[in-house]
Amino acid sequence: MELFENKKFLAMLFVLAAFTAGIVFYPIHAGTILIFALLVFGTFTLMWKEPQIKIAGLVMLVLLAVANIGVNGMKYGIDFSGGTRIPVVLERSVDQNTMDEMVQNIKKRASVLGLTEVKVRAIGDSEINVEIPSSDPESISFIEETIAKQGVYQGIVDGKVAVSGENIFTNLIRSLGPQERVAMAKIDAQGQRHAPDWGVSFSVDKEGAEQFAEVARGKADFPIYMYLDRPTDAVLFYEKAEFTKDIIPDSSEKESLKALEDALALENNQDIPVYIIEDLPENFTAPGNDTKAIISANASQGTKDMLEGLGFTIVEKTDAEIEPEFIRISSGVLILVKLEAVGLLTAPTLGSGITGGNLNYDYTITGSVDAVDPQEKALEAAEKAKSIESILKGGALPVQISLGSRTTLPASLGSEFLKMSLVAIGIALITIAVVVGLRYQKVTATMPIVLISLAELTILLSILGSFTIDLAAMAGIIAAIGVGVDAQIVITDELLKRDERSTSEKINLAFGIIKTNATVAIFSMVPLLFSGLVEVIGFAISTMLGSLLGYMLTRPAYAAIVEKVITAERKGSTSEGNAL
Amino acid sequence: MLPNIYKGDYRLLAIAPLTLMAIAIFFIPSIKMGVDFEGGTLVTLSLSEAVDGEALQAQLQQEGLDAKVRVFDTSIGYRAEIEVPQSEKLVRAEELKVEFNEVLPEVAQLEVLAYQNSSFEPEYNAKREQIEAIADELFTIAEMKGRNVESVNELQKDFSDAYSTVYSSYQESISGPIDKHVSYESISVQTVSPVLSTKFMEKVINVVVMSAVLSVILVFLFFKSIPPSLAVLTGAFCDIVIALGAMGLFAIPLTLPSFAALMMLVGYSLDTDILLTTRILKRRGDPRENAYDAMKTGLTMSGTGMIAFGALFVLALMTHIPTYYEISAVALAGLVGDMFATWGINGVLILHYALKRGGA
Repeated sequence: MELFENKKFLAMLFVLAAFTAGIVFYPIHAGTILIFALLVFGTFTLMWKEPQIKIAGLVMLVLLAVANIGVNGMKYGIDFSGGTRIPVVLERSVDQNTMDEMVQNIKKRASVLGLTEVKVRAIGDSEINVEIPSSDPESISFIEETIAKQGVYQGIVDGKVAVSGENIFTNLIRSLGPQERVAMAKIDAQGQRHAPDWGVSFSVDKEGAEQFAEVARGKADFPIYMYLDRPTDAVLFYEKAEFTKDIIPDSSEKESLKALEDALALENNQDIPVYIIEDLPENFTAPGNDTKAIISANASQGTKDMLEGLGFTIVEKTDAEIEPEFIRISSGVLILVKLEAVGLLTAPTLGSGITGGNLNYDYTITGSVDAVDPQEKALEAAEKAKSIESILKGGALPVQISLGSRTTLPASLGSEFLKMSLVAIGIALITIAVVVGLRYQKVTATMPIVLISLAELTILLSILGSFTIDLAAMAGIIAAIGVGVDAQIVITDELLKRDERSTSEKINLAFGIIKTNATVAIFSMVPLLFSGLVEVIGFAISTMLGSLLGYMLTRPAYAAIVEKVITAERKGSTSEGNAL
Repeated sequence: MLPNIYKGDYRLLAIAPLTLMAIAIFFIPSIKMGVDFEGGTLVTLSLSEAVDGEALQAQLQQEGLDAKVRVFDTSIGYRAEIEVPQSEKLVRAEELKVEFNEVLPEVAQLEVLAYQNSSFEPEYNAKREQIEAIADELFTIAEMKGRNVESVNELQKDFSDAYSTVYSSYQESISGPIDKHVSYESISVQTVSPVLSTKFMEKVINVVVMSAVLSVILVFLFFKSIPPSLAVLTGAFCDIVIALGAMGLFAIPLTLPSFAALMMLVGYSLDTDILLTTRILKRRGDPRENAYDAMKTGLTMSGTGMIAFGALFVLALMTHIPTYYEISAVALAGLVGDMFATWGINGVLILHYALKRGGA
C-alpha cells in the first residue's frame, strides 16, 4: 500500500472528497463541478509523471462521474423523456438583456403547475422554446394560457378607474435618467433638496387623458391604486388573528379595515368586499355575483369548508400574497399600498399638478427607496422602476408574444429512442474493440483501449446528463466514442514502431500529435459553442468534452498503461496478465 | 495488409481525390436547404398504421396545403414527415410587423406632442399616414377590416390582432387538413419563421468565418512554416468540399445538425492531416515509409470514426430521427472524403515538400 503513503495520491483523494461533497450538496451545479474536476485531475495527470498517479486520476474521475449519476441521476430532453415543446414567438427581435428577462419570466409562468423540470431557452433573438415533461393535454393548455396571458392594468382613484392600460402608449413607458430626476427635486421644510431615487414616465392617448382629468379632478394627495389583473368576482376573507398581525403599530383594526375597503372599492358594483371571518354576520350570503373567496392558504379547514358551504370557490393565497401592506402618508391618512392577492401592486399619491382637471398626456411616477448604501440604493431603485414599468405594460413580459404549434412526444416513444441510442453506443464500442483487436492482434494493446473508452463514455454521460441530453448531445456522445480511441491508436502505433528511438521519445511525439489534434478539434467547435444555436450546442459540447477528456486524462493514463505493457513485453520479462 | 502506396510515382495518387472534388463541385449547387435555413414548417407524425404517402399528399393538396409527404416504416412504427413551405402571407406579415414596430415609437411620441401643441400636427399626420398604410396592408392580408381608430395606441392593438390572425391561420391551414386526414399518435411541429431562418443563416456564416480563421491561425502556429500549413489546410478544405458534394448528391439537407457535423469534420480532417504531416516531417527515416506508417494509423482512426458514425447512421435508418440521420450521413461522407483528401492531396503535397527538402 505504498500508494497511500504517496503525498500526491493523498492530495488527489482529498480533492476527490471535496468534489464528491460538491456534487452531493449542489446538484444544480453538478455538471460544472464535474467539468472543473476534469480540469483539476487532468492537470494532476499532466503534471505528475508517475504512472500510478496518471491512472489514479482517471479512476477517480470515473468514480466521481458514477457517484454523480447515482446521486443526481441523468436529465434528458423531451426527445428522450417524452413531453411537450411549445414555441413562443416574440413580437420583435430583442437584445440579450431583454431576452434573459423574457426567459426568466416565461419560466416562472410555465412553472405554474409546479412541474420542476420546465426548460425554457432562447432560439435566436425572437423565439423561445418551452419544454415541459408532460403530455397531458389539459395541463398543457393551462400552461399555454398562463404563458400567453397579457395582464390588464388599472389605476384606480377613489373608487373610479383613472387610467386603464389600453390608453397607455406602451412603447413610451420608460425609466427616468438621473438628470431628469434631479430636475424634479423638491425642497423640504429644512431647506434640503430631495431628488426622487427612481422615476418612470408614461404617456396616454386622448381618451386616457380625458378620463384621468375627470376622475382625478380635485383628488390631490389621493392614492392611485395600481392594479394588475384585478379580479371582479371575488371576496376577500381574513381570519382575525391573521389580519391583526399585519396592521401597523399606530393604527387600529378598524382604521386598517377602512383603508382596505377604500383601496378595494370600485364603481359599478365591481368592488372587492372584505370580511373578517369572526365578524361575519349570521345568515351571511355571498354578495351579488361574487363567486370566488380569496383566503390565506393557512386559514383553518373549518373556515374553508364554511365558505365552500356558502357557494364560494376557494382561491388560496400564500402569506406573502395576502398580507396587506399599509403606510401612513404625510397627510396622516392610512392607506393600503400593496395586496398581491388581488393584484394591487403599488399606490403612489397624486401630485397636485395633475388634479386640476386639465388634459394631461405625460405622467411620471417617482419614489424613494430605503437602502442607504449608494450601490444598494441604485440597485433597489432600478428594480422598483422596472417593476412599475412592467405593471404599466400590463404584465411582466417586456415584449408581446404569440404561441406556435406545440410538439408532443409520448414518453414511450422517447424511452424507445433512448434505449436504441444506448444500444447503438454499445454496438459502436464492441465493433471498435473488434477492429482494434484485429488491427493489433494483441490483447494487451486492445483491452486498455476498450476499458479507457468505457471510462471516457461514463464521464461524458455523467457530465452531459447533469445538463440535458438531447438528440444532438446523444449524437455527439456516439461520435466521441469514435474520436476517443484515436489518440490511443496514435500512441500504440508510435510505441509499436520498431526503430532506434527511445520509448519516451516516441511517447513525446505521439503526445505532440495528440495535443495538436485535441486543440484543433476543440477550437474548431468553439465558434459553434458560442453561436447561440442551442439546437446543436449539445453536439458541440459533447465532441469538445470528448477531446478535452482524452487529452487531459485518458491519454496520459493510457500511455502509462501501454508503455508499461509494451516495454515489458519487449523485454520478455513480464507476462501479459501481470501487466494489466 | 495494404501495400505502401507512396512507393513509385506518388503524384498519381492525387487523381482520385481531384476527380472526387470535381464531382463534388458539380453537386454542391443542388444541396437542399432544410427547414432551419429555408423557413417553413416540418410536421412529424408517428402513426399506428401505414399511410399511403402519395394519397395523403394529394388529399392535403386538395385542401390547399402545398405539402410534401414522406412515410417511413421504422422499427418503432410508422412515421410521416410533412413539409410545408413558408406561407407568403406570413412572410409579408412578418416584414410588415418589423416596419410597423420601427415607426411606432415615433408616431406615438408625435401623437402625444400633437395633442398639446398643434404645430406638431402636420408631422404627426404624415407619420400616421405612413403607419396606417403599413397596417392596412396587414389588415388586407389578415382579411380584416381596419377600424377607424383615433389613437395609434388602438391601431397597435388591431395590428397585433391582425398579425395573430395571420399567424394562427397559417398554423390552422397546416394542422386542420392533417387532423382531418390522418390519425396520429404523436405530432411534432417545427416552424421556422423567415426572421429566424435569416438569423440562423447569419449565425452559421459567422461560425464558418470564425472557424476558418481559427483553423488557419492554429495550423500556422503549430507548424510555424508555410508549406506544410498550406498542405494541411488544403487537405481539410478538400474534405469539406467533398462532404458538401455528397450532401448534394445524396440529398442530405443542410440543417443545423448537418452543419454542426460539417464543423466537426473541420477538426477531424485537420487531425489526420496534422498526423500525417508531423510524422513525415518529424520522424527520421524515409519520408515515404513514414507517410505509409501515418496512413496505417490514420486509416485506423478514420475506421473507428466510421464505425461510431456508422452505428449512428444505422440507428437513424431504423428510427428516422432526422438529427441522427443528418449528423451521421454528413460525418460518414466527410470521413470517406477525408481519406481521399488526406492521403491523396495532403500526402502528395507534403511528400513532395519533404523529398525536395531532403534533396531526394
